Amino acid sequence: MIRTFENRAEQKISGFQSPAADYLEGRLDIASTLVVDPHSTFYFQMKGGALSSIGIHDGDILIIDRSLNPEHGAIVIAFVNGNFTCRIYQIASKVPVLKNDNDVIFQTEINTLQVWGVVTSICRNVLPKSLKTGKYRHVCAL
Amino acid sequence: MFALCDCNNFYASAERLFRPELQGKPIVVLSNNDGCVIARSEEAKACGIRMGDPEFLVRDLIKKFQINVFSSNYVLYGDMSERVMHQLGRWFPRLDVYSIDEAFGWLGGINNLNSYVPKIRTAVVQNTGIPVSIGVAPTKTLAKLANKLAKKYNGVLVLDTDEKIASAVKDFPVHDLWGVGRQYYKKFEALKIETVAQLREMPEMWFKQNMTIMGQRMYSELWGRPSIPLDEIREATKGITVSRSFRNYIESPEILSEALTLYASRLAEKLRAQGLRCMYLQVFLYTNKNREDHPQHFPSHTHKLLIASNSTTDLVSIAVKVAQKLFKYGIKYRKAGVIATGLIPESELQLNIFSDHDGGKKDTVSAVLDKLNLAYGRGTLRMATEGFEKKWRLKHEYLSKGYTTRWSDIIKVI
Repeated sequence: MIRTFENRAEQKISGFQSPAADYLEGRLDIASTLVVDPHSTFYFQMKGGALSSIGIHDGDILIIDRSLNPEHGAIVIAFVNGNFTCRIYQIASKVPVLKNDNDVIFQTEINTLQVWGVVTSICRNVLPKSLKTGKYRHVCAL
Repeated sequence: MFALCDCNNFYASAERLFRPELQGKPIVVLSNNDGCVIARSEEAKACGIRMGDPEFLVRDLIKKFQINVFSSNYVLYGDMSERVMHQLGRWFPRLDVYSIDEAFGWLGGINNLNSYVPKIRTAVVQNTGIPVSIGVAPTKTLAKLANKLAKKYNGVLVLDTDEKIASAVKDFPVHDLWGVGRQYYKKFEALKIETVAQLREMPEMWFKQNMTIMGQRMYSELWGRPSIPLDEIREATKGITVSRSFRNYIESPEILSEALTLYASRLAEKLRAQGLRCMYLQVFLYTNKNREDHPQHFPSHTHKLLIASNSTTDLVSIAVKVAQKLFKYGIKYRKAGVIATGLIPESELQLNIFSDHDGGKKDTVSAVLDKLNLAYGRGTLRMATEGFEKKWRLKHEYLSKGYTTRWSDIIKVI
């Protein structure tokens, strides 16, 4: 969903001028801290629990920035054995490896590690089921 | 200096970005209605698939070489194009987006181009995932030529000296030169001019006499004197068209109305996006001219609006009314379209003294329509005459997803 806050409710009642009118700043929007550069940002969704040990769970939305280069400790999207996967990028004795809770892949095993982008943050709906209704059904849950 | 930046096999590259397993595999992208090939990966070119080949003619090749086929996913290509152009815009003081996958950039005031330009390419390729090539030269014509050669040089070629230009044009075939069409090519052929180097050696007078003003410009451009400026602002469009082929033949006026409702809605959206209104709305229908056994009918009618409009309700009602008049029973229609002409900027609306103009109300309706459709996806709010079944809807059997535009389509990772 695209939300734009371009129009603030303006006082249309004649005679009244908001004392705050000269001090308006844009209201906070979470997108501005999650997305550094929308033109290099992509979204993926975690499926399964291969990274639950580090707190990435099934259904989490992953925010990926392609402009970053992976470094030791980064969580990345990588293409492994014909699948997009989310993994931890590490350098083990100078060799890049891709880890998750199930296995470790060394760069030496496959010619190049196909890192697609770096995960900058994750988003999760934490509502209990009873509240996940109506328009709240889709908060971070696709 | 000018740069021409071009996305390599753009549609195929965009599809491949989200399907990395297709790296190194042949890909073709089909036009609207899965008609003919409009994009090929390098591997598909090597399989002998040509641009514009109808799908049914290359079906055997597709099977034989296991070529991956895609319907054109313009939602995806549009978004990827915007990303690429934005990234490019950060590197050039001025940028002229020339088409969905090409842009001319101006590099005035930038030194050491030989290190600067490769940086642009690296950044764009990394940040967007779309491979690009960049050709740089003193004129647009030469930049375009450099761009074609750049693919051999890691995607970047900078022609910053006379020697480099001379060696670039030496073997460059004239028919690949920017601005050379069939007409000019025939002239060159008659004189046995095959390469750009040969063409460049012709006297300036010859260009003037044989190729009018265009020739004179070409001559200057080839010798490194810029004669074609960077058009940052496109000339106002003269007409906007929305037309599609149908999946099956249309033989009933109701279904035809549904199709035209969609096309006219789309047209109105396009007009509003460009801040234009149209004075005339042309509606046309086509039958399949390749079927000699079918009765042929190519009716067309241009309707003059009382007041120039870009409202969905106005254009849809006109398009549907006109189409009903054009329609004849017993004829199988294959394609229909609407064209808006007599375009005027929204701000220059002239009212008619006798008409009861409720433009304000309609403008509000249209604005709400645009906002909702932008937020929730195209077609969320639409005219009911568009129908629900859409039997006439385009064929796109091999359509990929809206990976970057629809939450429900984002890629799941394990």
